[in-house]
Amino acid sequence: MANNNYEVSEVESKQYIVVMVGNEQYGIDISYIDNIVRMQKITRVPKVQPYFTGVINLRGEVVPIMSLRKKMDLADDVFTNASRIIILKLEDNASIGIIVDEVKEVVNLGEDEIDKTNKGKFIDAVGKHGNELISLLAINSIVEDDI
Amino acid sequence: MDVSQYLEVFIDESDEHLQTLSDCIMVLEKEPENMDTINEIFRAAHSLKGMAGTMGFKRMQHLTHDMENVFQEVRSEKIKVNSAMIDLLFKCLDAIEGYLNNIKASSDEGTEDNELIIKELNDFISGSEGGSAPEPKKEAAPVAESAPAENETDGKKKYFEFELDDSEKTKIKEAEENGLHVYGMTVYIQKECLLKAARAFLVFKAVEEFGQILVYNPSSQDIEDERFDCDFSFYLASEESLDKILEAAKAVSEIEDVVGEEVKYAALAEKQEKAEEEAAAATTAPAAKTATAEKAATPAPAAKASAPAAKAPATSNNKKQAVAKPVTNRTVRVDIEKLDALMNQVSELIIAKNSLVSFSSTESGDFQNQTFHDQIEYLERITTNLHESVMKVRMVPIESVVAKFPRMIRDLSRKLNKNMELFMSGEETELDRTVVDQIGDPLQHLLRNSADHGLEDNETRRALGKPEVGSIFLKAFQEGNNVIIEVGDDGAGIDVDAVRNKAIERGVITEEQAESMSQKEIVNLLFLPSFSMAKKITDISGRGVGLDVVKSNIEALGGDVEVKTQLGEGTTFTVRLPLTLAIIQALMVEIRDEKYAIALGSIVTIEDIPVKDIKYVEAQEVISLREMVIPLIRLDEILDSEPREEPENLTVVIVKKGDNHAGLVVDNLIGQQEIVIKSLGKYINSNKIISGATILGDGEVALILDANALM
Repeated sequence: MANNNYEVSEVESKQYIVVMVGNEQYGIDISYIDNIVRMQKITRVPKVQPYFTGVINLRGEVVPIMSLRKKMDLADDVFTNASRIIILKLEDNASIGIIVDEVKEVVNLGEDEIDKTNKGKFIDAVGKHGNELISLLAINSIVEDDI
Repeated sequence: MDVSQYLEVFIDESDEHLQTLSDCIMVLEKEPENMDTINEIFRAAHSLKGMAGTMGFKRMQHLTHDMENVFQEVRSEKIKVNSAMIDLLFKCLDAIEGYLNNIKASSDEGTEDNELIIKELNDFISGSEGGSAPEPKKEAAPVAESAPAENETDGKKKYFEFELDDSEKTKIKEAEENGLHVYGMTVYIQKECLLKAARAFLVFKAVEEFGQILVYNPSSQDIEDERFDCDFSFYLASEESLDKILEAAKAVSEIEDVVGEEVKYAALAEKQEKAEEEAAAATTAPAAKTATAEKAATPAPAAKASAPAAKAPATSNNKKQAVAKPVTNRTVRVDIEKLDALMNQVSELIIAKNSLVSFSSTESGDFQNQTFHDQIEYLERITTNLHESVMKVRMVPIESVVAKFPRMIRDLSRKLNKNMELFMSGEETELDRTVVDQIGDPLQHLLRNSADHGLEDNETRRALGKPEVGSIFLKAFQEGNNVIIEVGDDGAGIDVDAVRNKAIERGVITEEQAESMSQKEIVNLLFLPSFSMAKKITDISGRGVGLDVVKSNIEALGGDVEVKTQLGEGTTFTVRLPLTLAIIQALMVEIRDEKYAIALGSIVTIEDIPVKDIKYVEAQEVISLREMVIPLIRLDEILDSEPREEPENLTVVIVKKGDNHAGLVVDNLIGQQEIVIKSLGKYINSNKIISGATILGDGEVALILDANALM
């Protein structure tokens, strides 16, 4: 019973992982996330879209890594100890990694905390968590090709 | 009965039978008298019918049944094979294929009855009977195999066929006197059934609810021991109506059919006596039946009489059929996904092995002892062999794809009214299953192209003094790590000037560009999207969906296609496909601090070339090697690597693609390694020169360079 109640109360909120890119906080819907790994050697792939940094070996699979900063036309990546690669799995057999400066926390955002009027090229909505604003990433448009 | 679990097997086998039929009918067209072929056709048609019936595809069964009838007539030499018949048979095959496609798509055969074809088939049979007077039944007795084995209910009533001894007769008589009905019944078990005895037992159990079984044939002991073919008969005494009993018997699963009727002792006794008399006179029996009467139940004396006589040869004939079936290899059908899983595990194993190898070759560590190295080498050998074996399992001959082409060319020849013949060689060449599955369409397209645009029409060929029958050829062979499939014709060839003009007209290239383009480059324009050279649009080709699709399909498989043409002499398309998609032997090279793999199959030699030996041809760097002029490709420039100071000597990897050679300049050679090819994933739009990636022993990712794309 207790378990049931828990689910009912959670139904209207979603979990997001809050990451830092530059000086902005972004939220990524946790259901897209397959894994978070530390920065590792990225093999450059020549002649591809400029925002792809390269590929890594993730447990025997080759996964392309995208620079969120390059995709968003921000300053170049500076890899620090806090840098992480977030592996997104949008469909079976198709993973992609995005580089973020730092992973901060996991938050629950209720429907009432999400402002959907604020949309951008890569942003679906803006979430309010306490005093902070979190831009919720539109994963599909990030993964899509720029033409 | 739930047959869905057999659907895949049904589809696979039907495909095979259809192919056999198609091949045989092609042969028959050339050699109408070939009895072996006719028999094989008959067998295939018969199996198809049986399978369709079992699966409950009534329309398909009906059509194959009528087709089988035609073959039956051909086999008993009552109909001669002629071209109208061949055409009709091909129509039948197309219709059956239509059913099969419906089944593949939706597990349902669809609603097309193909009445027209069935009518034509029947016309063929009745036409032949009207023409050649001999009564079909007349031959029933002497020709054992035309004993109405499966298409008439009459023939199914095998309970008439066995002799009753006196005690059995008495039993029947007694039952009748007690006011019970005596039914004769024959039960047919499906050929695929594995536990025939068990099924028989269930049938007996079902019918014994209604009464008592008086006589078994074969004996109950034989049935228990499974010493019977696919049918057995018995006499049953019961109070119930026949329908109820039949229904109960049919309810047992894997039972194909049950036939039965009430028998009277008097009639039975009479019949038995008569049988012997009439068996002798069977050939002249006044069997007043035509083919149309076959459908009605006709328990005429002639049929009964012929039955006992025919029974013995009929069973032996059955055996003969079993023996005559082509000896197939002992095989197991395996789901391709299971093979993929196996392949993945082998890949993992190879990666693990590579990492052991790289670990052992590091100078440091305590592993510098001989045994350890021996074991590593041993492991290396095993994984390589294991990989080869798994690869071989995945390899299938391209025959399964190209086998349908002769038929296609035959049809095209009629449609286009051009005489042409297809010559195929190397059908046994093997390719990875996934490649074979997808190579059909591009090849078909190229062949159609040859037939439609390549070959001239009959008059032109005659006027040019060429043999009137145009040749189209399809040659497959292995070359290194590639399989080459050449598709060509001895037709008009491609008119390069026409292509150039058309390209300029369409604005694909400018006139200045055209000036500087080589003949080959211009011909390659044909591979651009919507660039069709057909002067008129036919339904065979020329709709603009053309060579570009062929090219992209083949490139998707990791291959490429090129064209060679000689005006007036013909055109040849050369399709090059990788032998395998998963694991290859590769040379690892270094360019600055990045590692790349080049497939060993495309490498000819490795040369050390002094920079001063580089010459220039049309501003392109070339080297001269054993009387060949080979262009140099600076990989570092192509791969956007950091520039470096030019050393005195360059390490050049000479690769070849067909007759073309090129020299790839690299910084360092690392060595040969077995690598597992991984895709770069869905999201990266990689340039064609990178064909994938691989994971090295130390866990690092290295990219695989496609030498073919570099050239």
